[in-house]
Amino acid sequence: MEPIIQMSHIDKTFKVLKRREGIKGSILDLFSREHTLLQAVNDVSLDIMPGEMVGYLGPNGAGKSTTIKMMTGVLEPTKGDILVNGRVPYENRTKNAQDIGVVFGQRTQLWWALPVIESFKILKDIYRIPDRVYKDNLEYYDELVGAGQLYHKAVREMSLGQRTLCDILAAFLHNPKVVFMDEPTIGLDVSMKSKIRTLVSNLNQSKGTTVILTTHDMGDVDALCKRIVIIDKGTVIYDNEIEHLRKYFGAYRTVKFKFKANRKDTKGMVAHEADEIRALLAYKFPEAETLQVTQEEQWVQLLINEEEARMMDVIHSVMEQKEIVDMNLQEISTEKVIQKIYEGGVL
Amino acid sequence: MEKEKNGFAFYAHIYKKILIQDLKSKMSYRADFIISTIGMLFTNVAGFITFWLIFQNFPQISGWTYHEMLFLYGFSMLALTPVQCFFDNNWNLSRAIHSGDFIKYCFRPINLFFYYMSEVFDIKGLGQFAFGIGTLAYSWNKLGLPLSFRNIAGLIIGVLSASLFMIALMNFASALHFWIVGATSVMILIFKFKDYARYPITIFNKFFQFVFSFIIPIGFMTYYPSLFILHQERISILTYLTPVFGIVFVYLSYLFWMKGARQYSGTGS
Ligand SMILES: Nc1ncnc2c1ncn2[C@@H]1O[C@H](COP(=O)(O)OP(=O)(O)O)[C@@H](O)[C@H]1O
Ligand SMILES: [Mg+2]
Repeated sequence: MEPIIQMSHIDKTFKVLKRREGIKGSILDLFSREHTLLQAVNDVSLDIMPGEMVGYLGPNGAGKSTTIKMMTGVLEPTKGDILVNGRVPYENRTKNAQDIGVVFGQRTQLWWALPVIESFKILKDIYRIPDRVYKDNLEYYDELVGAGQLYHKAVREMSLGQRTLCDILAAFLHNPKVVFMDEPTIGLDVSMKSKIRTLVSNLNQSKGTTVILTTHDMGDVDALCKRIVIIDKGTVIYDNEIEHLRKYFGAYRTVKFKFKANRKDTKGMVAHEADEIRALLAYKFPEAETLQVTQEEQWVQLLINEEEARMMDVIHSVMEQKEIVDMNLQEISTEKVIQKIYEGGVL
Repeated sequence: MEKEKNGFAFYAHIYKKILIQDLKSKMSYRADFIISTIGMLFTNVAGFITFWLIFQNFPQISGWTYHEMLFLYGFSMLALTPVQCFFDNNWNLSRAIHSGDFIKYCFRPINLFFYYMSEVFDIKGLGQFAFGIGTLAYSWNKLGLPLSFRNIAGLIIGVLSASLFMIALMNFASALHFWIVGATSVMILIFKFKDYARYPITIFNKFFQFVFSFIIPIGFMTYYPSLFILHQERISILTYLTPVFGIVFVYLSYLFWMKGARQYSGTGS
């Protein structure tokens, strides 16, 4: 099988204007402009096969978005060859656009004032989606995430999560071969993230769509991607299966609870609650030997090894026993994993 | 029925669809709609009052009578309607570029310029259109101009060609945003020039006549095309060249805008 995306030795260098200070400076800028060169992407080579879901990770400013912009044809590489669906994206931007879908987190591409369904109808015409395909997709969306409830709501009246969800649905509407998602889960709460993971995973499997995903949440790639590519300062430092990385983000999850207060003396109470939870969990999950329950100021904090006990089961047990007023699930940042990779010397 | 992707019919269809939805949603925000309509009325009425006040003191300006000037005024309002209605999104380009939102226009398999402009239809332009028609009809009647086929055709072609110049100027000015920061002041300046368009350029000195014909061609926005109806004896070669110049000028502005858009690389994020 031919790769659907082929990048070989791609460089991207930005010319950044050095601005001089003050009014005199800006007048000087008009006549002579001094540039500095900034290499955002450095000798990146990637082959991505049809149907693959690839997690593209890296710290802020690593060059992830720049890479995606080159694959979508918005930016021209400074050097190197790139083919997407057998075309050079930059030279065939509009043709390429017909076969791809793009989601940029926090930047909706739907018509702001229109109900989602009207945006979809316009997209149907723009991409010339056959009636059959369009109808099937809408039904499938409704089945998957109950999208029907959102269809008649205007985009500007939606929450960030609902908007992102609709943007993802829109990106898949014309059955593109590749979908690029740049930080789609940024700023979303736990339940919306999990909804989006389910959606993307289903769409990828049922349609065989290739997906390139960037994120800062290790949970996203853990749920979705087999293959991870890590880029740092423009250079690919890791390209392999996620399994090899598992020891760096592992099976440990941290979750914090705040319970409904029924006593004045809160300090003593949280300690008491932590004891209660510890006893409860020791009884319910005897095999969870490394499970830790600690007090963190007003919070009761749990460190769970998912190989011993599933986090969702633990949360359920706690919920049955106590009334929770607040809960916080700490995500594992990709930055932390990358740092550990450097320390661990996998490279 | 397979529509040609680059075809006019395809784009007209998409535009119509976006427009209808946009109007529907604007109507649903009634307060917004009413306030902007009232604002539009005030702007136009204020324009008329200024105009009228000037003529209280001068019965003629460089040989142009009140009703002739009113004719030019009406003509220029009509000629400025298309830029107001269809190209108003130029005013938002600066924000779209600096926030990085402009990138979203690059992901659709349709013409980038079309897609960008299709997003906004400014309904206020229609009010201006109505005022323009009224003014023109009134002065037409007062001047006793014949309602001949020649004059009607001349008016329609003249208004359409004249409208191209402001469209082109605004495209040029807004496209500067792709290269420089602070191009909005250039846009505002250019937009102000439209107010001079309603005067016969013969009232300016030779230097400005040249500038307004060949540098910032506002003479074509009213004066040259309206000579065809108003002063047949003064028709200049530039009157007949208005449509040709208009088309060339708009096309150049489109190329310039697209060149800017293509080299736009987005803000890093
Ligand atoms: N249009 C641009 N002009 C100049 N520099 C840019 C531009 N876009 C991105 N950069 C720079 O390139 C580097 C990579 O940016 P980006 O690809 O957005 O990183 P990431 O998406 O991984 O956070 C950063 O240092 C950024 O400042
Ligand atoms: Mg980015």
